[in-house]
Amino acid sequence: MKRQEAINTIMETISSQDVVISTTGLISREIFEKFDSERNIYVPGSMGLASSIGLGLAMVQPTMRIVVIDGDASLLMNLGSIVTIGNKKPTNLLHIVLDNEAYASCSEERSMSDTAYLDKLAHNVGYQYVRAVRCQEDLKRAIMEFRQGPGFILTKIELGGRRDFRRPLELAAIKNRFMLFLKRSTKGGLTS
Amino acid sequence: MNQTNKSVFNVLDDKRSEKADQLHKVFRELGVNFASGVPCGVLRHIIKNFDNDVAVLHVIANRESEAVGIAAGAYLGGKVPVVYMQNSGLFSASNDIASLLVPYKMPIFFVVSYRGCEGEDAVQHLTTGQATEHLLKSFGLPFVVFEDQKLETLIRLMFATMREAELPTFLLLKRGWHR
Repeated sequence: MKRQEAINTIMETISSQDVVISTTGLISREIFEKFDSERNIYVPGSMGLASSIGLGLAMVQPTMRIVVIDGDASLLMNLGSIVTIGNKKPTNLLHIVLDNEAYASCSEERSMSDTAYLDKLAHNVGYQYVRAVRCQEDLKRAIMEFRQGPGFILTKIELGGRRDFRRPLELAAIKNRFMLFLKRSTKGGLTS
Repeated sequence: MNQTNKSVFNVLDDKRSEKADQLHKVFRELGVNFASGVPCGVLRHIIKNFDNDVAVLHVIANRESEAVGIAAGAYLGGKVPVVYMQNSGLFSASNDIASLLVPYKMPIFFVVSYRGCEGEDAVQHLTTGQATEHLLKSFGLPFVVFEDQKLETLIRLMFATMREAELPTFLLLKRGWHR
């Protein structure tokens, strides 16, 4: 499965009401270019924090489903985050890791995810739903079968693919439209 | 440098701090209902108050960067978060503050313990101690070193400035601040 195929499958399978938090580099840039929406938050800097942002959001908006689209090197950079997620157990958080075993957004230098068994780690720290997939069909099924999280879908992808995507630049505007989307989706009522 | 470990700072005490209680009260009046951070002894009274208040959702993080991310998520979800950490951790999290909170214009309030000041007994804090204010100045971020100003007035003013500027804002607390 290519990155492009994994991203297409995720974005076409999740509900239009789901929030998407995507990690640094090509993953965010591809989603921004092809699937930009008010329900998206891109994490262009602060590599590694997508899952932490997803956790904070999932804890304070328990009626929304939060989908984090992470990368293997990005997850490894903030690995403690899965311990916190496994401990807090937000049932509405689905953490999808696109794993090409590399820093693909840099120059495809190898990461260490091939020896990390990220799905086993996620299971051990308390994720309630863990799947490992290698093809679009299985990825789609894993997303559709997700009921109660925290969920973790380790998605093996190939290196390569387009690199010339635009960058999300107007971050404050992206934040403002996101917060309006959330307000509308939760009927203006803040959950506490 | 203090050569013994018998300084007042190396003792655990459970006594309440009137100043920490005042700080918590003004936080609550300003809408604070979420906290994340990495513990520091200098901040223990503040952390305990977050823990003991059911109206504040409190998530301890493994590293300071993670706390920045968790608080950013809570902020996006409509909460009013406070992040706490030691200034040593401020350096670890500095890029996350600069590349996430600043461009996204997230006005998040930080309480940072200020080690490495005059009288410091631990060498590992000296380099970051002398660089802390320079770091925040070079980022162009608002900060105040607490020197026994009237807490309520100070915090209200800092929140007003923070919300106007839409920038993360920092309160630096030195050892013994709570007495």
